[in-house]
This record gives sequence, C-alpha cells and structure tokens, in this order.
Amino acid sequence: MAAANDDQARFRAVVLPHLADAYALARWLTGNSSDAEDVVQEACLRAFRAIGSYAGGNARAWLLAITRNAAFTWLAKNRSQTVVGVEDLEEVERREMARELPIDGNPEAELIAKADAQQLEAAIAQLPLPFREALVLRDVQGLDYREIAAVTKVPIGTVMSRLARARGRLIASMDAQTPTGKT
Amino acid sequence: MTSPSDKDPGLLVHAYVDGELDPANALEFERQLAGDPALARERDRIDALRRVIGERFPPAPLPLALARRVEASVLGSRASPAASSLASRPSWRALAASVLLSLFVASGATWFVVRPSPADTVADMVVASHVRALMAPQPADVASSDQHTVKPWFNGKLPEAPQVVDLIGEGFPLVGGRIDVIGRTPVPTLVYRRRQHLISLLAIPDGNDAAEVRRAIAGYNIVSWSEKGVRYWAVSDVAAADLDAFARAFRVATA
Repeated sequence: MAAANDDQARFRAVVLPHLADAYALARWLTGNSSDAEDVVQEACLRAFRAIGSYAGGNARAWLLAITRNAAFTWLAKNRSQTVVGVEDLEEVERREMARELPIDGNPEAELIAKADAQQLEAAIAQLPLPFREALVLRDVQGLDYREIAAVTKVPIGTVMSRLARARGRLIASMDAQTPTGKT
Repeated sequence: MTSPSDKDPGLLVHAYVDGELDPANALEFERQLAGDPALARERDRIDALRRVIGERFPPAPLPLALARRVEASVLGSRASPAASSLASRPSWRALAASVLLSLFVASGATWFVVRPSPADTVADMVVASHVRALMAPQPADVASSDQHTVKPWFNGKLPEAPQVVDLIGEGFPLVGGRIDVIGRTPVPTLVYRRRQHLISLLAIPDGNDAAEVRRAIAGYNIVSWSEKGVRYWAVSDVAAADLDAFARAFRVATA
C-alpha cells in the first residue's frame, strides 16, 4: 500500500507537470485531438507502470519518449497502411534523404513570416514522421537537440539532418503555395 | 561527439539558428555567413520559419476531460477528490526537482555552449536567479496576484519599481515578485505562471535600447527586450513559443 502511494506521488510529481506537452506531441503525431487523448492515456498507463524504474533525469523528455512510442504503437495498429513501425523510420528517412530539395526559387524570409496557421499545419502534417517529430519537438515544443535525441533515440547528428530536411521542405512548400497564398 | 566543422553548411546553419554551436564553431560560421549571401538568406528563412511556427502554434491547452481521465484511470478513484490538482497551483518542490534534474542532464551537453559576450553573462545570471527561485520554498518574496500589492512592495525596496501587470486574461497569471541580484545590482523580478510552469521576468534599468534576443540556456528559454530604458529578461522552462507569447502580452499590456 505504501509502495502504491509512493508510485502515485511520483507519478504526480514526474508525469502530471508534463501532460500538456505529451498531449501536444500526440496531437501532432496522430493529427487529431481525440486520437491524441487515447495516446496520452495509454502513455500515462505505461509511465505509471514504469515509474518505479524511472531513474531521475529529464522528466519531460522521459514522458515524451513514452508518449512517442505509444503514438507509434497506436499508428501502427490504426493506420498501418499509411504509417509504419519505429524500425521502418530509418528506411523512410533514407528514401527521403535521396530526394533533392529545390535550390532555386526559395521564398524570402518576409513571405515565410506571413504563413498562416492552416497552411503551416497542412505542410507539417505532410512531413514524413521522422522529420515531423523532430520539427515539432524543436520548433513547437522547444526541446534542444540533446533532448530530441533522447526522445527519438537517434544521434544528435541525425536530429540535425532530420530537422534540416523538415525545415527545408516546409520552406519549399511555402514557395509552392505562394500564388494562392494570402497577401 | 563529432566535430561540426566537417559538416555541410546547409546543416550547420540550423544548429547555428538553434543556438547549438559551441563558441568556436559559431564564430567560424558567422565568418562564413558574412561572406556568403546565399547562406545568409537561408539563415533568414530558417529564422523566419522558426518564429512563425512559434507564433502560430502556441501550446495546446490540456483538455480538462483528459486530465480527469488520466487521474481516474492511473491514480484510481481514490484520488478523485484531488482531480483538480492538475489545474491547481504547482508543487514547488516537484517543479524544482524536475527542473534541477533536467538542468543536471542538460549540463552534460557539449552542443549548446554559452557564447562569450557580456549579454551572455547576464543571461546566465538570469537563468541562475530563476533556478534559485524554483528551489526556494516560495518563488516570490511577495506572493500576490494583485498588481496593486506587488508594485508598492517594490517601491519600498528599490529606487525604481517596475511596471506590474496581471496577464491572467492572456493565460499568464501574476504570482508575485522578488528581488534578484544581477552582478551587484538588485533588480525587480516579477513571477508569472503558465500552467505548471513559472516565468521570471527581470526588469533591469540600463538606459540602453538593445536588440531583442531569444535563446536557450540549459533547457531554459530566454527572451530579452528593451523598452523605455529597461532591459527585460523573461526566463522559463515553458516552450519558446509560450515565452514569446508571454513577452508579447507583457509588452502590449505595458505599452
């Protein structure tokens, strides 16, 4: 009983403060709020089961890593035709890395600054999963490279190249949308 | 850790914009930027993208129903009387503990390195003050959400009281105020809250108007700007976009 109370106290101290962050990440990975709620619920159950072995360290990164894994399990189960398991991410990445980015015709910074939320959200949703999660963790959630590396379990150099790809694609997509974009 | 110097400038420019280059590499990269207008434009594009994402996507609030669901399923119905604990005041001790732990982890990072300039020394002291406040029993010496209580408290202690506004309407309730010492100067600090996170806002009178600065030190985001001869430093572990929103709200409210 005392141990159970300990776990509950730890869960409150370690997990609950970062629940909003977990929810935000789940939303970006699943693409909608109700799926994100299911993912966070599952992640919390996993976190609670693992709380006894939580060895300290960055609690937010710890919970985000669990949330990300829960999201991937959920995606593999519910959207297996579009999204793949964690181990396939490297493959997706290799394929994407081979694609050349447009060098000419990049939009000016002023144009990028005017992008609206809808346009951005659609472009981010189009990003392959490994790039999307790196971008969201960095530019939406404000994690540094080391934290992102811990959450996504890849070396920092890989975080850097994924982030570069993600941003490069978003920037290119804005140029493509310019003619129909808002003034 | 690999040396970034052998890397593609197309990658390095991201690390540069994110403040993740160590001082030597940052300097070297700045030299490269100065001689390469195309690279400089790429830097501007990335910077613009980062900012616009931060502005367009402020953190999604945690749905109350989800908070209740997690409390009920994980902590059991026994815990339901405390179901509101998510929305209530954070536990300072828990906050400080998690903050310290993440600081400890982050300090091992060789990638983000503080760049040596006077502003950085101040930024470090600002972060140190914030961390110290999180460790203290109370993050504010005067704990009040009433700006008409907080401002007079400063009046009695400092030659110049800062502008005090409550930003609860913008999602940043005022928690109180305290006095930090930066270098050898006592400066007024306002404390605000964003969900479970605290934001310290230091107001250092310096008479100069310097450019706006955004960066991260040891996992803390910092936004700094000048207004009417006062240099403001906002520091917190909230996401950069949140802190930007806070800075905007404060500037609008005090304009």
